[in-house]
Amino acid sequence: MNQRDLELLSSYLDGQLKPSDSTRLEKRLASDPALRAVLDDLRSARGLLRQLPMRKAPRNFTLTPKMVGKNPPLPRSYPAFRFVTALASLMLFFTLGLNFVVPQIAQTPAFGMGGSGDGAPEVFSASEAPAVPEFAATEAPVTEEPSILMQPAPTETVAPAADSAREVETPSEKQGVTNSADLPAETTAQTPPEPPVPPVWQIVLAAIALLGALAMVMMRQAAASRWRRK
Amino acid sequence: MDEQALIHDAQAGNLDAFNTLILHYQDSIYNTALRILGDEDQAADATQEAFISAFKSISSFRGGSFKAWLMRTVTNACYDELRRQKRRPTTPLEPDTDDGEEMDSPRWLADPGMTPDQKAEADELEHALQHCLNNLPLEFKSVVVMADIQGMDYSEVAIAVRVPVGTIKSRLARARLRLRECLQGFSELLPTSFRLEEGSNV
Repeated sequence: MNQRDLELLSSYLDGQLKPSDSTRLEKRLASDPALRAVLDDLRSARGLLRQLPMRKAPRNFTLTPKMVGKNPPLPRSYPAFRFVTALASLMLFFTLGLNFVVPQIAQTPAFGMGGSGDGAPEVFSASEAPAVPEFAATEAPVTEEPSILMQPAPTETVAPAADSAREVETPSEKQGVTNSADLPAETTAQTPPEPPVPPVWQIVLAAIALLGALAMVMMRQAAASRWRRK
Repeated sequence: MDEQALIHDAQAGNLDAFNTLILHYQDSIYNTALRILGDEDQAADATQEAFISAFKSISSFRGGSFKAWLMRTVTNACYDELRRQKRRPTTPLEPDTDDGEEMDSPRWLADPGMTPDQKAEADELEHALQHCLNNLPLEFKSVVVMADIQGMDYSEVAIAVRVPVGTIKSRLARARLRLRECLQGFSELLPTSFRLEEGSNV
């Protein structure tokens, strides 16, 4: 018995053959007892399988929302709390960043002009030296805030530069010492810059974010406990 | 039961509608799992998994035979279960018989109207059939269970197993042949009307 005949017999058993194929097979079955025996065997095997009792399901397999991962229904006000909490958190981080960055930006030019670096003496070399004192002389009295730090640097360099061009040869240590000695005195005298956002606002924002988050957690827990009681 | 309306509602997320469908199909799905896995507890687990998976993916159902679609889900759940068993083989708690076969519990008995002798015979026959089913390759087993035990037609089985109808015909024929050979070893258990011809040249 080849595979083709086996498939034909199996399909014939289920009435799945075309009428023409079925007629042809029936003719062969009439004249071939071996083929008939196989058909009977297949029919018997199928009959036994069909006799297997259908078992009743041992329990109901109905699903609960929890089983399918549905979230417990949250109160309608939940999205509002979520929005306010998210907004307050964002604003809090933004103001924190602002308060951190802005004073640094305000201080950066003072250090740059202070000329504590090694290149300072060359900056005030013969060619540029005259320009600096003029700028310092005109600008210094007008500006009040950032020039507090900027002012001393030119005035100190003015003296050597204006006295004599030869003094440009002044050792760098000397200038470094004078600059570094002046700066601490000036910074200690200066009051720290005011942050753009008052800390009280940050406290308020933090409180809103914290309370909002707390309310959301409580809402979720209440919804979950209602869910479990169902 | 308006199956189409229930499916439509279930696709919209209505769990109650899907549970109505479950109640309608749970026996046939459970029996399919039972015959493929050969174990009641595993079959129950696979059935539950199949229904959970079916609900989660019901939006992918595009019409046709819902039963065939569910059968595909339970077949996949059974394949997963069998793969898990291969990774973590377990020892059955039931005692073994002298010839090393697992003894079935009386819970397998089907008809409460049977005499104790009839029950014992039916139990043994069912055990023999399940034994032969268990020895079939997985792809043959799922086809023969759906076609011969669940009475599904070839096209439905093809949808459930995702193979062409021609492959179903071939697998079914070979599965029946293997079952026939296996059942010859249990001929004393078979009813007279089902005694298999011995020595036919297949």
